[in-house]
Amino acid sequence: MIAPFKEFFIDFQRCIGCQACVAGCAECHTHRGSPMIHVDKVDPAVSPQTVPMLCMHCKVPTCAMVCPADAIKQDENGIVHSSLKPRCISCSNCELACPFGVPIVDQKKQQMQKCDMCFDRTSAGKKPMCATVCPTGALFYGTMEEMKRLRPHSKPINKWRFGKQLVETRVWVMVPLDVEEMVVDWPELLKGVEGPVDFAMKLKERFQLEGFVDPESNEPLPFNMVNDTKDTEAQFL
Amino acid sequence: MHKLVETIRALRHELDGRSLFFATIATLLLAAAIVVGSRNLFDFDSALIGYCFASLFAAFGLVYRYSVWLSKPPTRKYWHRGWQLCFSPRLWKNLRSPRILAEAVTRKIVVQDFIWYRSPQRWLGHFLIAVGCVLAAAITFPLVFGWVHFEQGQIEPTITYIVYVLGFPVRELDVKGAEAWVALHGLIIASFLVIPGVMLAMYRRMVDQGAAAVQRFGRDLLPLILLFAVAFTGLLLWVSYEFLHGYFYSALAQLHAWTVIGTLIYLPFGKLFHIFQRPASLGISYYKAANADKEPAQCPVTKQGFAPKMQTDDLKEVLAELEFDYSGKTDADPAWNEVSPRGRRILIGRAYSKMRHGKFD
Amino acid sequence: MARLSLPQQDYINEYGPHVSDLPVTGWLSKPEPDAMVKTHCCFCGMQCGIKLAVKDGKVIGFEPWEEFPFNEGRLCPKGVKRYMQTHHPDRLTDPLIRTEHGFRKATWDEAFDLLISKIKSIQERHGKNAFSMMSGVSLSNEKSYLVGKFARLALQTANLDYNGRFCMVSAGGGNKKAFGVDRAANSWADIPKAEVIFLSGTNVSECFPTLTHYIWKARDNGAKMIVVDPRVTPIARTADYHLQIRPGTDSALGQALLHELIANDWVDHDFVANYCTGWDQLRESVKECTPEWAGHICGVTPQLIREVARVWGTAKTSFLMHARGIEQQIKGVENVLSLINIVLVTGRIGREGCGYGTITGQGNGQGGREHGHKCDQLPGNRDIENPAHREHICKVWGITDEELPHKGKTAVELFEAIQAKEIHGMINICCNPLVSHPDTNFLREAVQGMEFFCVIDFFMSETARYADLVLPGSLHEEEEGTSTTAEGRVVRIRAAVDPPGNARTDTSILLEIARRLGKEKLFSYKDNEDIFNELRRASSGGTADYGGITWKRIEDEMGVFWPCPTEGHPGTPRLFEDRRSFHPDGKFHFHATPYRQSFEVPNEEYPLYYTSGRSVFHYLSGTQTRRIKFLVEKAPGPVCEMHPMLATKLGFQNRQIVTVESRRGTITVPLQITEGIRPDTVFVPYHWAENLAANQLTVRALDPISKMPEFKVAACRVRSATKEEADRLRADWKNLSQEALA
Repeated sequence: MIAPFKEFFIDFQRCIGCQACVAGCAECHTHRGSPMIHVDKVDPAVSPQTVPMLCMHCKVPTCAMVCPADAIKQDENGIVHSSLKPRCISCSNCELACPFGVPIVDQKKQQMQKCDMCFDRTSAGKKPMCATVCPTGALFYGTMEEMKRLRPHSKPINKWRFGKQLVETRVWVMVPLDVEEMVVDWPELLKGVEGPVDFAMKLKERFQLEGFVDPESNEPLPFNMVNDTKDTEAQFL
Repeated sequence: MHKLVETIRALRHELDGRSLFFATIATLLLAAAIVVGSRNLFDFDSALIGYCFASLFAAFGLVYRYSVWLSKPPTRKYWHRGWQLCFSPRLWKNLRSPRILAEAVTRKIVVQDFIWYRSPQRWLGHFLIAVGCVLAAAITFPLVFGWVHFEQGQIEPTITYIVYVLGFPVRELDVKGAEAWVALHGLIIASFLVIPGVMLAMYRRMVDQGAAAVQRFGRDLLPLILLFAVAFTGLLLWVSYEFLHGYFYSALAQLHAWTVIGTLIYLPFGKLFHIFQRPASLGISYYKAANADKEPAQCPVTKQGFAPKMQTDDLKEVLAELEFDYSGKTDADPAWNEVSPRGRRILIGRAYSKMRHGKFD
Repeated sequence: MARLSLPQQDYINEYGPHVSDLPVTGWLSKPEPDAMVKTHCCFCGMQCGIKLAVKDGKVIGFEPWEEFPFNEGRLCPKGVKRYMQTHHPDRLTDPLIRTEHGFRKATWDEAFDLLISKIKSIQERHGKNAFSMMSGVSLSNEKSYLVGKFARLALQTANLDYNGRFCMVSAGGGNKKAFGVDRAANSWADIPKAEVIFLSGTNVSECFPTLTHYIWKARDNGAKMIVVDPRVTPIARTADYHLQIRPGTDSALGQALLHELIANDWVDHDFVANYCTGWDQLRESVKECTPEWAGHICGVTPQLIREVARVWGTAKTSFLMHARGIEQQIKGVENVLSLINIVLVTGRIGREGCGYGTITGQGNGQGGREHGHKCDQLPGNRDIENPAHREHICKVWGITDEELPHKGKTAVELFEAIQAKEIHGMINICCNPLVSHPDTNFLREAVQGMEFFCVIDFFMSETARYADLVLPGSLHEEEEGTSTTAEGRVVRIRAAVDPPGNARTDTSILLEIARRLGKEKLFSYKDNEDIFNELRRASSGGTADYGGITWKRIEDEMGVFWPCPTEGHPGTPRLFEDRRSFHPDGKFHFHATPYRQSFEVPNEEYPLYYTSGRSVFHYLSGTQTRRIKFLVEKAPGPVCEMHPMLATKLGFQNRQIVTVESRRGTITVPLQITEGIRPDTVFVPYHWAENLAANQLTVRALDPISKMPEFKVAACRVRSATKEEADRLRADWKNLSQEALA
């Protein structure tokens, strides 16, 4: 009765931040109007880069392990489901422990909702809504063979390294051919902000700005903005 | 056969000794309470012996499962925290602790408003079932255990019943009075609550495409079927003695007994276990109340507070107990769970961009 | 007189925009639909296939249409949320007549009587051409064609133009000059086969999100991507070469690239000699156009221009696309031609993997600009001043040459004529010039001076508030028809539901007006398919030849590419395979594009470039998308993008409220500081109206050939907002997300 499940792939570099996946996610019958996929601006002050994140369906799900109510279950297809409604006590442990920052706890409904790979669709042989509507192929649902044929210069991996912790996932991430593990070295990334000299040089390489602004004469530059990742919208109100 | 042996062997390996101990103790205590409460089985109705053994089995199962559940590191942590905060002097100022408890019990256990927010129809179905079940349990168990029994009182001028609790007469009821009617028809009322509730729930599970997709027979439909069977056969009993002069009564009584026994045996395994588990959410109310006025944990990426500091600290310990290691390179670095969920996603984006050298390739 | 009779706030309270994001069935449990209607998304020229779920005469949701070959189910957020517009509480359901105190509901008879009497009275007093019509290309082919015929034969006016004048006429102008035909030369299927992708002035990622897939597919195959844009758009972010040029300097860049191609002999001499004309003048014209010269003008380094020229010059296959960025300038046609030149000198056109095309922006921007919707055009992309063309159309329509008006005024000129009291009345359908016209303060004044203004729309657009008469029309999903996608594919639009309440289909409104103007004989159609069949006959023999396209064929073949002269013809996904252009001489024409300055360039008083564009969450003037909660939450209002260096210099903080001023107007907006923009340029998206209209600042200067206004270049200055301005912004902003009462 249940159709065979295929593989899910994320290719972050293709994301254009249009949020079609978020809009589509709400349409899934198990989601009832609440999107469960995240699209975040990475550094809006620097570039329009966005990062889509849905449940990676870990082989050993951290969220399920830290759930005090035993409410998060992985099924035989490797899909980690939203919390079982009778059990979930909305403690938010899953939200805080998930290495990918995926689950969303609704305190009012006392329930955790997360991407279940559109179980109503995938179990009926359809593609998840996000992977169907994604206009760029950043989210893709299909077979391993298809993926390898379509994107010969990338390869899918499912190993993530967060410091010492290795996390294996059901969902694949597309990386360059010579990469074996997706390493998230956050202590380094938290430092990663360029200095004023680099910044001025970058401008000089990119523009000829004679007469108007001279890259070298403008100091100090507002570098702390790089970490300012709040959404623009309506923040000023 | 071989498979069965394997299963038993695996089970024996997996059985938790401590929990077995607690479960045994609890079962023995219940048995003792039955013996004592029924005055050495003097008030015990032997016709209900099947119910009684099923209840003892259920008690064993429930306590075993509860104990196993509590031994999970995150559950243990919350369990301890819940009690600790409940009695913490800080929360007893202005009697906050009992007030928190009162509010939480009202909202989470009695009114169950969170189900209303999921859907009013669901709330109605669940509420009917819940009230019906509680009512039925409140009547059935004391009777089964012989803690309550009725004896005929006077005959003139009106017939009365005397209610005995733990062997002591506590009340005399006029058979024709409203109180007696309620007392004697309690189970009927319960089934009139449970049946529509189950119908609503079943209807939802049939038409709701989302629910239909994720539901499983054993997990979601079986409990509804069991509840329906109990309520419906109970109702048939009443129809039989009230309107049909006891037509087919004993067979129906047998049938009803089996449905109840089946449900009791199912109790520790399936969805209905949530009845016993749900009160754990009260601990969460304490957790939240205790941290509401404290400085939250700050995310190093978004620079915003995102969770109670107590929780990120507790979680760090729990993760370690579960043998996850999301710590940073040095002690000065935040652990991965000390970055907010949004911050984590952003850093993953940065890590990816760095790996691709900011290019498309 | 077309004036507001209530404060703006009252119109907002009564008619919206309100935001709503609730399906008619609610979210909790959606029922199984009765039908899945295969149609297309109404937002943008990609016309993605989509299936609308219908239950009991209501659109209750959608399902991706994965079999449709262009988008295979892919959609952008607007497409996903599009079904929320159909039963939106703001829908207009009755004709509205302006009173001393807002609008009152009227019957259709009353409304038509008023309209007819006004048309007659104005035309009797001031002549036929004193009543005008303004239209838009979100209309289907049938409706566009009908509007063209309606204005000329029922209203008998020459003054009909359309909002494509604000959108892609420069591309059409350039294409016609070079190729003799106005269509993207290839279907998008050629993009993944190209080695180099060149995107100029097109924010594909936000304006045509589903096209991104094709570009990424090319890059999967190893293609290099060149992007020309003053901003780091999401598509430009990972570009191999990003030329962040000054606004308005595109043709200089094009010339420098050509200079390099010639200097390094990256020229297909055979193609140039045998299939092109004008080569010598062209070569001569770029002799001095070195990368240094262009780098100075464009504000990018000469090395980068050289590298881009090398990548372009040495490629074997390529696909060049451009859009509004280069077209919405007073040099729009020249910019387009400067890029066509670099395509033609390399001979990379009309072959597999070798392509060129403008990316049409509006829903039916392609089809709508082919069939007599423009002031100078007749169906089949014919010229209204060409006697042979006129003769053909007169025959199809059964009229004499005298009955067919000549060329009328273009959109901006039309409003200028209204301002000058030469034109006194207008029917406006499918257009919201109060948002989309340049210099909106001028536009408002012009509209207010009009004697009679009728608007046909499905929502109360900001322009409709000023109308004397508002007729409730139909949405894309409420009428049968066809549209033509940006790649020239004619697709079927299906009616999923009927217009709500007393609203009528646009077609039936126009036909009824024509009938009441005594022109029933010229306007009797069985149904919309009948209109399409007349369109086929009318377009037959023109460049945009739909002769062989039937509704049935479109359905069976999932779209047919024009030109398709006969029913046996397979359609033409790729033009010029025979290396012949559509010019009578069959040659591709080179045109020299000597660089000239934009109408307005920064000076000491107004030291910055001002440019505008779109957000992925809104469609054009936002009449539809500003009512859909999800989209409004993601992009509630305009923000001004500014480089951190400029912000530092001016002493601004991120999200500070600033006022941008040009010689024509001011706009107060919050600041978004980003490194993704040139330090001498600020950007404000244009989807909002009145105080929040980015077009308050833009210039009305026109391209001499296409008559397209210069939306993309103006001079401005930025200062921090005064308290009054900031308060007004907060109030306006609050209105943007006013919830609809269920």
